[in-house]
Amino acid sequence: MYSDLLHALPNVLEWANFAAVIIGVIAGIVVGAMPGLSATMAISVLVPFTFGLEPLVALGLMAGIYNGAMYGGAIPAVLLRIPGTPAAVATTFDGYPMAQKGEGGFALQVAVISSAIGGIASAFALMLLAPPLSKVTLLFGPSEVFWVAVFGLASIIFLLGGNPVKGLISAFFGVFVSVIGSDPIYGNDRFTFGQLEILDGIHIVILLVGLYALPPVIDLLETPLKTGVDNSKLGTESIWKALPRMKGYWKTWFRGSAIGIWIGILPGAGGSMAAFMSYNEARRSSTNPDAWGEGEPEGVAAAEVANNADTASALIPALTLGIPGTAVAAVMLGGLLVHGLQPGPMLFRENPDIVFGFMWQFLFGAILLVLLGGSLATNSFAHLLNLPRPLLGSVIIVLMLIGVYSIHGRMFDVYLMLGFGAIGWVMDRLKFPLPPVVLGLILGGFAEENLRLALRIGRGDPMILFQNTTSLILVVLTIAVIIGPTLKKRFINSRKTA
Amino acid sequence: MTDHPKNRLLRPESLTALVISIVAIGFLFPTSKLRSISALLPAAMLIGLIVLGVILVVIDQRKASRGEAAAAMTKAPKRVAGAFLLILGYALATDFIGFYVSTAITIPLVAFAFGYRNPLGLAVATVIVVGTIWMIFDFGMSQDFPTGRLWGR
Repeated sequence: MYSDLLHALPNVLEWANFAAVIIGVIAGIVVGAMPGLSATMAISVLVPFTFGLEPLVALGLMAGIYNGAMYGGAIPAVLLRIPGTPAAVATTFDGYPMAQKGEGGFALQVAVISSAIGGIASAFALMLLAPPLSKVTLLFGPSEVFWVAVFGLASIIFLLGGNPVKGLISAFFGVFVSVIGSDPIYGNDRFTFGQLEILDGIHIVILLVGLYALPPVIDLLETPLKTGVDNSKLGTESIWKALPRMKGYWKTWFRGSAIGIWIGILPGAGGSMAAFMSYNEARRSSTNPDAWGEGEPEGVAAAEVANNADTASALIPALTLGIPGTAVAAVMLGGLLVHGLQPGPMLFRENPDIVFGFMWQFLFGAILLVLLGGSLATNSFAHLLNLPRPLLGSVIIVLMLIGVYSIHGRMFDVYLMLGFGAIGWVMDRLKFPLPPVVLGLILGGFAEENLRLALRIGRGDPMILFQNTTSLILVVLTIAVIIGPTLKKRFINSRKTA
Repeated sequence: MTDHPKNRLLRPESLTALVISIVAIGFLFPTSKLRSISALLPAAMLIGLIVLGVILVVIDQRKASRGEAAAAMTKAPKRVAGAFLLILGYALATDFIGFYVSTAITIPLVAFAFGYRNPLGLAVATVIVVGTIWMIFDFGMSQDFPTGRLWGR
């Protein structure tokens, strides 16, 4: 099982695959450093450009961007108290006060080292946990696969928090989009209205770019944020000289990594929750909790280690079961599909070099953070905050159009993407969660195919879906995920009133 | 899209939920012409969307009756509408007059319209972006972009 992991290493070290990780990390830091842009958006825009690339080059870029963006979000969080990504909110608590005291450079160095440690721990968790889990899922038949899809959707709807009605609407919309095109078994058209362009269904990239890239561009143009960073106040020194000052943080790094990995595996949680939990736990166990929030470097370490530890671990359920733990993981699933890699049990059997290579790329991406996000680079990345947002917005619009147009070489897809973009903007503003739409699109076809296959095996009897232990366990888990949050809420309320 | 529309049904959330239900009802008609097994999943999703849309309207209307303000869609509706129109205009221009001309116009136009007014910066950014796209996609990858329906190409 783990021998495949070692066999994949030489491929990853080929110059093109390794260079992709380096470029990805740099691009990720740039994206993360720009408030309003996110790893999800960057990967959505990137995916169509990777069509012609080798899978490991494409996946290396994605892994690098994800790692880089998680650290990049700390740059504006520390220097401007504006989190570059949602996961960097907790970094502002102590990072910004440090910058006010002239220790912004050290705060960023703590952030980069902590991010790298979290990323490395997360990559190891992915390497150790995903292969055995994939072995278990190989035993699944059509009815189990159907329930896995239902469980995945239920998890992301109900565990994501917020309004479950909106979550359900998002998921139903995604599943509905997945059925547009030819029926996979009978071949009759469904909702194509004579448009030949959608006979094969709606390409996931069109939906991804529309939903995840257009709304942030509108945000960039809607609120011109005036930023200005005076790098002379950063107070940066060599990262190697700064390392000895961090020797007392190992407990925080260890605890934050464990929290981040666990949160990453849970569907629907995400880096922000990991960072908050890690920050709170580290503060609780600190000997001087009053200093936290006033510029305590350990606070930056706690937040950054956890939000990076969430990265690769979010791919454990995504790669093995096809259930992404976060929005970025959902977009990455889309990226895998573009390269003909169907996430799920067969991925590990049919493409071990690629899937294990991807895991190595996460590890190298995390290590490269230290080298690429060091003091000199940090100064350069800080300058990015002065880039004019309207100009950035217009360039992203062009990239979106090129990416979507180049899928099939037709403008129809661009118009479709704009339609999804408008829907995505409305959903975003009204707080409809977007990950269930993507997951609905990914799992919808998958669920339908397996449901129909199971029904055929059972000669039309729906009880076939409940006839084995694994299916029943998955049904129980799905019910637990649906009613769990409500029960928890009631329990908390009853304790409050008691 | 104001914060306090006079008609309660025009609150953004209610309006969106109504649109969801109406569109889902519209899609149910072609569903009825499909084989039952082909229609199973789409019909389930559409009926689900109709029901959920109605539930969302009810929830939002109850909030309205309690006097809760509707969530604002945007603080700058003109800027948002302008951004959408410019993006749509860019797509149409690409389709009808060609990719390179439209891109060379759109980059400085969008940036200028939304507040970046440095002529040298605009010119340099446009040249760099259009040049890089040409180098990578046209020259390097032989990617064809739309040349414009108006010119019959």
